[in-house]
Amino acid sequence: MATQTHSLSYAGCNFLRQRLVLSTLSGRPVKIRKIRARDDNPGLRDFEASFIRLLDKITNGSRIEINQTGTTLYYQPGLLYGGSLEHDCSVLRGIGYYLEGLLCLAPFMKHPLKIVLRGVTNDQVDPSVDVLKATALPLLKQFGIDGESFELKIVRRGMPPGGGGEVIFSCPVKKALKPIQLTDPGKIKRIRGMAYSVRVSPQMANRIVDSARGILNKFIPDIYIYTDHMKGVNSGKSPGFGLSLVAETTNGTFLGAELASNPQGQGAAVLPEDLGKNCARLLLEEIYRGGCVDSTNQSLALLLMTLGQQDVSKVLLGPLSPYTIEFLRHLKSFFQIMFKIETKPCGEELKGGDKVLMTCVGIGFSNLSKTLK
Amino acid sequence: IREKLAKPLQVGSGQKLESENIIDETSDIEDLLKEDDDYKEESNYSIETSGALKWKEDLSRKAAEAFLRQQQATPNLRKLIYGTVTQDNEDEDTREELGGLFRVSQPDRGCKHKADSLDCSKFLVEAPHDWDLEEVMNSIKDCFVTGKWEEDKDAAKILADDEE
Repeated sequence: MATQTHSLSYAGCNFLRQRLVLSTLSGRPVKIRKIRARDDNPGLRDFEASFIRLLDKITNGSRIEINQTGTTLYYQPGLLYGGSLEHDCSVLRGIGYYLEGLLCLAPFMKHPLKIVLRGVTNDQVDPSVDVLKATALPLLKQFGIDGESFELKIVRRGMPPGGGGEVIFSCPVKKALKPIQLTDPGKIKRIRGMAYSVRVSPQMANRIVDSARGILNKFIPDIYIYTDHMKGVNSGKSPGFGLSLVAETTNGTFLGAELASNPQGQGAAVLPEDLGKNCARLLLEEIYRGGCVDSTNQSLALLLMTLGQQDVSKVLLGPLSPYTIEFLRHLKSFFQIMFKIETKPCGEELKGGDKVLMTCVGIGFSNLSKTLK
Repeated sequence: IREKLAKPLQVGSGQKLESENIIDETSDIEDLLKEDDDYKEESNYSIETSGALKWKEDLSRKAAEAFLRQQQATPNLRKLIYGTVTQDNEDEDTREELGGLFRVSQPDRGCKHKADSLDCSKFLVEAPHDWDLEEVMNSIKDCFVTGKWEEDKDAAKILADDEE
């Protein structure tokens, strides 16, 4: 886009994705300086370069300039194009790292996005594909992004360090988003989960399930944890196992938690029993934080509220994560949107910690590049 | 009647402006609320004479209450998010000079560290609860369908009411 707007300037590599994503949506160029400037190994890393390449693939006419040392990045966004694509993600980060960016952009493409992503499906750093599938997709549906083609499918599982996983993400395009009023999360009616194991004994998954159930059964009887043991070429290149848990409420809120085993050759071996117990405890922590959107998806919800029609949107959240706080600042600088923030103390109710009610009026963003049929 | 209503309102807004200058805001607002109570008593008789202006009865008190509520609820979080962020100092200022020619570089400054740290959306649990304790387990009891329901949503209660 040949806009004459001033570019925004930032320093450091943290929050790179949200800056690039918001730049793409708002059409404002960004300049990021001092990327690991004081590091022994300065400049952009492979996984960040891969994210920039992915942005280049889904847009048309983006201009990207990186200096020789890789410490300065200038990005002038093009138009979101979409279509059928493939991308090899860096194995240094999970596919979730890339998927989080795509979830923000996919509804606003010219053509519906259908993308094959290859890399690490589950790791210890990023939200896994399982959790995003179970929590982020229902959230997008609340905003009216739905359809037959709305899907996130895990074809192959890949654990770090080798990777070798593959997922297919397809998302329909929307012209405008519905405003949301999520002020009551309801009550948790069931807990679902997925215990996976690749290139290790399938018994690992069963051991995880037993220990996780042992903790969660004290709270609610309706628990089902699927076991998923992929074999052969579908099991990726490295061994590993893990668990993802999702609590579903009566009002359609999904709260997720997950844990994965240490990558091969890094750290001590983890017992599946311990992993199951710790993951169940993480889910309880997430329930304690509460809200209508879980801590990982806070920023996605706030972004879609900002981009919604010119109407009031409300969402009740648990405590804001540092990532979300920075995201709110970025929303202010890219879209001039400030949220109304009200803290709701927990009081006498036995419903976990303090909550925050976020209110804003959408900017009325509409997808002008969407083709009419 | 107009004059009477206008006068206390002016006093009220004057107080409000002053309170912004004084650091101890809450005590000031309490004063303001007290004053409004006085005002209400004094204007009571004028309301008796004209019912038409009943909705104006305690406008300034309502305003003061709303103001107070807002003050109590948000200031910290809002300030934390949208307040002026301290700009990271340029490196030149913080470096020590060595022999008037070289400068000692100090890479591990707090803000620098934050700017280059890991870009991850997960919100790690810093101080985990001990979920084996009965007390801690009870703190989220009502988040589940098995817990206590609100009066208006409790199926058993609604059924009982229907039968009556």
